[in-house]
Amino acid sequence: MNLFEPFTIPYMQRALVEVLVLGALAGAVGVLVVLRRLAFVGDALTHTVFPGVVIAHLLGRSLLLGALAFGVLTAVLLTGLGSHRRVGEDAALAILLTSFFSFGVVLISRTRGFTADLTAFLFGRVLAVDRTDLLQTLAVAAVAAIVLAVLHKELVLRAFDPEATAAMGYRTRALDLVLNLLIALVVVAAVEAVGTVLVIALIVVPAAAARLLADRVAAMTALACLLGAAGGWLGLAVSYEVSVDHDIRLAAGATIVVVLVGLFLLAAALVPLRRRRGRVAGASG
Amino acid sequence: MSPLETFGDGFARRALLEAVMVGGLCGAVCVHVLLRRLPFFTMALGHATFPGVVLAGLLGISLFAGAAAFGAVVVVVVALLGARERVDDTSAVGVTLSGAFALGVLLLSAQAGFSRDLTAYLVGSIVTVQPGDLVTTAVVGAAVLAVLAALHKELVLGAFDRGGLAALGYPVLALDVVLLLVIEATVVTSIPAVGTILAVALIVAPAATARLWTERLRATMALAATLGAISGVVGLAISLQWRVAAGATIVLVAAALFAVSLVVAPRHGLLARRPAYVAPGSASTRPRPAARLPYEERAVSKAHSGRLAPAAMAWALCQCRLAKICSLMASIGPTALMRTRMPRRW
Amino acid sequence: MAPDPTPTPAPPVLALRRATVAYERDPVVEGVDGEVAAGQSVALIGPNGAGKSTLIRAVLGLVPLTSGTIQVLGRSPQAARGQVAYVPQADTLDAEFPVSALQVVLMGRYPRVGWVRRPGAADRRVAGRALAEVGLAERASARFGTLSGGQRQRVLLARAIAQEPRLLLLDEPFNGVDALSQDLLLAALGRLRAGGAAVVMATHDLGLAHLACGEVCLLNRHQIGFGPIGTTLTPELLRATYGGQALQLRGDGVIVARP
Repeated sequence: MNLFEPFTIPYMQRALVEVLVLGALAGAVGVLVVLRRLAFVGDALTHTVFPGVVIAHLLGRSLLLGALAFGVLTAVLLTGLGSHRRVGEDAALAILLTSFFSFGVVLISRTRGFTADLTAFLFGRVLAVDRTDLLQTLAVAAVAAIVLAVLHKELVLRAFDPEATAAMGYRTRALDLVLNLLIALVVVAAVEAVGTVLVIALIVVPAAAARLLADRVAAMTALACLLGAAGGWLGLAVSYEVSVDHDIRLAAGATIVVVLVGLFLLAAALVPLRRRRGRVAGASG
Repeated sequence: MSPLETFGDGFARRALLEAVMVGGLCGAVCVHVLLRRLPFFTMALGHATFPGVVLAGLLGISLFAGAAAFGAVVVVVVALLGARERVDDTSAVGVTLSGAFALGVLLLSAQAGFSRDLTAYLVGSIVTVQPGDLVTTAVVGAAVLAVLAALHKELVLGAFDRGGLAALGYPVLALDVVLLLVIEATVVTSIPAVGTILAVALIVAPAATARLWTERLRATMALAATLGAISGVVGLAISLQWRVAAGATIVLVAAALFAVSLVVAPRHGLLARRPAYVAPGSASTRPRPAARLPYEERAVSKAHSGRLAPAAMAWALCQCRLAKICSLMASIGPTALMRTRMPRRW
Repeated sequence: MAPDPTPTPAPPVLALRRATVAYERDPVVEGVDGEVAAGQSVALIGPNGAGKSTLIRAVLGLVPLTSGTIQVLGRSPQAARGQVAYVPQADTLDAEFPVSALQVVLMGRYPRVGWVRRPGAADRRVAGRALAEVGLAERASARFGTLSGGQRQRVLLARAIAQEPRLLLLDEPFNGVDALSQDLLLAALGRLRAGGAAVVMATHDLGLAHLACGEVCLLNRHQIGFGPIGTTLTPELLRATYGGQALQLRGDGVIVARP
């Protein structure tokens, strides 16, 4: 199977750049999501961005702006809701995410041919990415990367020890809001490429795999970015080969996710071997 | 068009019946989902049964069989992954959910008519419900309710004190699996009505709403089932009037009921007046209103969320103990007869 | 004119005046009254649910007071945060987190390093010295979770030492800690006190409280006593604090059954 040949075609080149950037960004943000066990919040955000995309589409505006508006809104709402004592976080998140999603579905169901649009928003059309989309993705990714770099040590501290973070004088709610906004930015950037449903995989899976293999946050982040980008590249190559050479149409976004999960399972299989080797070395040393 | 006339056509009547049954069933199950803090898992289950449903549809076998088989596979995979070092439960669920969902999309994308079928699985299409589906829903619903009623005290006790349940000799793991299967069956039954993505809403919102109004377990279950059924009917009526997706509208109604309750419920709503502390000896000065304690709150909510009135838990414990004592007595014989007092009914 | 020879006394490191924390109608802890000077060490003693952790959080400014005042170094708790360090129980932290012991100690330097910048060589030296203080210099690059419970508690104390605080707050620092780690913790706390820091620790280990602290505050949702340990840790006050859990021995002795 050829990993380079498909990318001589312009639309494949754009798709490649898109998934490389997205994979790396999602991997870096995903490290914090996985360390703080926030996968559910990330999932909620991906569902709540959906009505923003629908509204933008119906108004004929940029999908990215619609997703951004709703992403910010729900990041704020989620941070605020996290502290209402009676209801419990999981239930509130589930209700929030499904009601926002339903709102989007209701809006779009009034149009004709709504199933095709719904599918595109949910699963993306990475091969239809054009130059403007790519530039927008790069812009969003740049903003997110800068925020992440600037606030990294505080975000890691908050993930490790929220009590000490507050005791040292940091506002943990504000830090939580920043992370939620970062997740929202990743979702927004990924909306056109892999769609809102599959972006959670880009965020969680490379970071979860990196966690199995790394002992330090820095190494984990580097690995997550690498795995995210590699998954994007391999997924695109595989879906192209199978669709073109074997005539089975494989959705590109979904193939990327399946490749990432495969890499995760590989890492999960390798871990006990690492431990055994480490133990033997320690015993003989 | 008056609301009654809305339900004039055959398909609308079938849809109504389906909506009521699904709503009521979800409401009954959802209290257990909340007690054990399972909303995320339920969502994962819904997403992960999706490829099973797709496969079943492609192979032409019963959707239930496909969903059940795949759901079982997912539960096993999550358990295996979560048991490994360094893979916490949330990540295990996230990875499995993504992988299974992507698999489902891949399977469907190779077919034609992909987006229409996909949509039906994802957000439901209650208006195309057939009489056969209604019968399935009724049968599954009755079975689920029967199981829940029979195992009520064990499930409640297991939700708040697994150690206590095990100490009494009950098979805790088996009971957990039974509950998970019950939730799975409910999710699959809801798919024709609201689809996989939205099923979790009907399984969570009515109970969350009910908990804002009452602390008593029985009342919560009854109220949740009622709210679920109401959401189904009202949502369906609105969707038929305005010609929008039915499943999504049903979910919006359930969420609206929750939002309204969140604000106005006495004692637990946001607008409820919080009683204030009066420092001893400072009757002359206005007492400062008690503020929120962020970390205390976390500790309190950790202790309380997933629990209803401690009284209900105590009742469940007594009932289970009594049942165990009775079976013990029956096996030991009249020489070991003890006097036991009936616990008070809460 | 000769200048006034009496210097103005420095404010006590910690001053509590009828401090009360209440949640809705019920007080969680009320009427706490006392002072802690530099170099002094106070043990907060009381049964579970007595409000020790809540009081510590109030001193940290994490929890608002319902009535009364708390002053740290003459200022409000929020204003004095840069001078206060907190040592939680080590088992509340995720053992799988990918950080090394040195990295955990370095976290104590973050408030001084400020936003955006990363800890520099000077910070690393301070962190290294703090780790050496608790006897873990050779485990600096070990992953935090691979250390024993007692070693982790020592790392958290090292983190607090790296903050160079005037007031140190500890929540049950000796829970589940092995004897060697206990000794090292006690020695490090002694050195901190000698350097002028004040220490407040919540503990239910009465024996260790005797070794580590000169003063004691007895709490059971309200203050029962606050003063030097010799005169305050008496059988009657212990009985008043622990209620039914304190058993009267023949003579004047008291055992606390479930501290």
